[in-house]
Amino acid sequence: MIVKILKKIASLIVILLILSFLVFGLMYLAPGDPAERKLSQQGIPISKEVLEAERAKMGLDRPFLVRYGEWLSGIVRGDFGSSYKDDMPVGPKLGAGLKNTFILAFSSLILALVIAFPLSVISAFRKNGVIDQIVRLLSFIGNSLPNFLISILLIYFFCIKLNLFPVIAKGNVQGLFLPVISLAIPMAGRFIRQMRAELLDQMKEDYVTGMQGRGVKQGYIVKNVLRNSIGHIFTIIALQIGSLMGGSVVIETIFRWPGIGKLVMDSITARDYPVILGFVIIIGVIYLVINQLSDVLHHILDPRTSL
Amino acid sequence: MMKKKILSLVLIALLAIGLAACGKSGGGQEGAGSGSAEGPKILKVAASFAYASLDVHKDSNGWYTSIYGMSEALFKMNANMGIDPWLAESADVDGTVWTIKLKDNAAFSNGNPVTADMVIRNLQRLAEVNSGYAYFAEYDMKADGDKTVIIDTKDPYPTLINDLTGSATGIVDLDATTDFDNDPICTGPFVIKNFQPEGDVEVAKNENYWGGDVALDGAIFYYMQTDDAKLLAMQNGEIDCYNSVSSAALAVYQQDPDKYKIVTIPGARLQFYILNVNTLDDSMREAINLIVDKDAIAAYLEGTVSPAVGPFNASAAYGKVTVPATDTAKAKELIEAAGYTMGADGFYEKDGQKLTVTVAYYQARSLDTIALLLKDQFKAVGIDTTFRQEEDPDSTYIQDGNFDLALYCMIADSSGDPLKFIKSTLEDDAYYDCGGYDNAQIQELIAQLKQETDTAKRAELANQIIQMAIDDNAFGYTGLFNKTTVLRPGVSGFAENIPFDFYGIDANTTIG
Repeated sequence: MIVKILKKIASLIVILLILSFLVFGLMYLAPGDPAERKLSQQGIPISKEVLEAERAKMGLDRPFLVRYGEWLSGIVRGDFGSSYKDDMPVGPKLGAGLKNTFILAFSSLILALVIAFPLSVISAFRKNGVIDQIVRLLSFIGNSLPNFLISILLIYFFCIKLNLFPVIAKGNVQGLFLPVISLAIPMAGRFIRQMRAELLDQMKEDYVTGMQGRGVKQGYIVKNVLRNSIGHIFTIIALQIGSLMGGSVVIETIFRWPGIGKLVMDSITARDYPVILGFVIIIGVIYLVINQLSDVLHHILDPRTSL
Repeated sequence: MMKKKILSLVLIALLAIGLAACGKSGGGQEGAGSGSAEGPKILKVAASFAYASLDVHKDSNGWYTSIYGMSEALFKMNANMGIDPWLAESADVDGTVWTIKLKDNAAFSNGNPVTADMVIRNLQRLAEVNSGYAYFAEYDMKADGDKTVIIDTKDPYPTLINDLTGSATGIVDLDATTDFDNDPICTGPFVIKNFQPEGDVEVAKNENYWGGDVALDGAIFYYMQTDDAKLLAMQNGEIDCYNSVSSAALAVYQQDPDKYKIVTIPGARLQFYILNVNTLDDSMREAINLIVDKDAIAAYLEGTVSPAVGPFNASAAYGKVTVPATDTAKAKELIEAAGYTMGADGFYEKDGQKLTVTVAYYQARSLDTIALLLKDQFKAVGIDTTFRQEEDPDSTYIQDGNFDLALYCMIADSSGDPLKFIKSTLEDDAYYDCGGYDNAQIQELIAQLKQETDTAKRAELANQIIQMAIDDNAFGYTGLFNKTTVLRPGVSGFAENIPFDFYGIDANTTIG
């Protein structure tokens, strides 16, 4: 097993190298000049001479491979470089944003699971019953509502009508409440549908039919079904984490949550390549590690699955 | 058993979230309201942008340190697009030599006086760290005593004091400042209290302000990017003012004039288009300019822009130009005189080719809306439109010139002088001279404008240059963005009457 894990780590490094080269290459080829973006960010006209000087200062006039090589050697040393936009070091920028996004993402994930897990179990074991119909309808609505709409509705009711929270959320626990709900509602909707489907698939297995035929208690059947489904449910959750890390940008913007999503969106607009590259590498690592961990966990929980 | 476990899990989680939410009591009331009569007077502002550094000289940070009331330059733009002394008392020029006298009492927040030597070192640092001001390194600068700066620009440079109104030229105590990014020591009525990079900024009154009493005790600038959030925060009483109000929010505020004061003035940000002389002949360019209905565009944009005549505010001395009124009948005559006939589909055609104009635009500053409005206006006359939409105009259609009509938006006047915009758009080989327009007489006039020191003559030259470009149908200036500020009653002095975006609070800002 250790050998297999080491092989997975080696493949992860290769994937990251390919990923970084691809992203660096794509950004090199993409239209848009970081120097021009930097100089004209306030809309003041620029001159060709000033633009050329800024390009040289930012090192944008050097060949592609030289720039990629320098960036890569920096990454190996743990140096993500400096932001094109404001010359600030990328590492601390990403670190602060990542920490806040982690807090937001995992809080929403926990809330979504707290909502989705029991409802999907009840829904699956009461298939086509009244509760199942209601849960499916609610999950459909939750899944269909866009984040920004949920956010604005929550602000309107909780901040304006009920006056329970300030519109201007601070970066504290209180400020976390509404963004977490905004992210959790659609996520819970997705989880309910996916988990219910997984549980229903499991319930079609012969062992369930056999237990039902033998008159085994419902609670025991639920326990077995859950135990056999848990690996797939972990995969569903793991896939969601990756998209959560970069997908909370709208929520972060509306609620002024200083997370990494908003930072990256601003960086894309500004063609701030060092920040974008740093983000891609970090998210790539997180995504791959979580998926590998999910595989390992799945294997531990259900040794029949291959690693 | 399983049911009990699930139920327990749900209850624990809900309890945890509930406790977390109630971590701080007060809810909406905590953030509501500004300083009261008894408490400190703190102005709360929504800011659309936030930067990672407060280094006045680098990048565009100076815009924000100026808005926060921290940094001050030697000169300042006023509401009439004129220049007032700020840290400087006067400026005189003799040939290429400028003599700038500093105010005797000008001082930093730590009490240190602003000296000529410090000003020179600031300008030298600015040249080093900011490409836009690199030319200062070529000037000979020396101090004549503590309060007189002498700058020899070597070549005549009549707009030096205009440049010295720039927010990046704010003066910093270079000797006492230890952290330029987070705590620069400047001269303004406010000092930094709490700075979150790319987040909220809190400033406090500068107790040693050289300019006298400061009305506010402090201010908080909340970084809020979305218009909806700003509107809701304003409605909830959590902020006192902000500018760049969206048309949707404006409509809400206008319904309640007792609660909101709205100030709208023409700003300096220009929407315009470049006509390509390589693809459109004289008559076709003239026809296009006769078709474009700027009033209809401004009306559609619901108060966010005012129709423009030229690139500059019409109230400025260098904004006195004229354009022919919209005249679609005359436009049709010009098109037909060029050999086009109306086809069965309602579009003009010649030699089997439909008359089509390629409009290049990018999705910002309402240019995408203007592109669609132009399509409608062209279609009404019989011209078809194809679009070229780019995310980044500067590295695409501004570079390659593949368009018939290219929309663009920029600040046409950032320092009370027309030269910068004229150079950028009309000088040979200029960055935005991408429509192929060339006029030798304009080049001569630009050369004169570069040398002319008399303000009235400069305005006259600028008006001549812009009028020529208009008469030759090289450009179309569609609208000037309005600067719209919403303030709670009693709040004033948030630069609401100054058309430039880089001023905010000052010593006179008050919340009533």
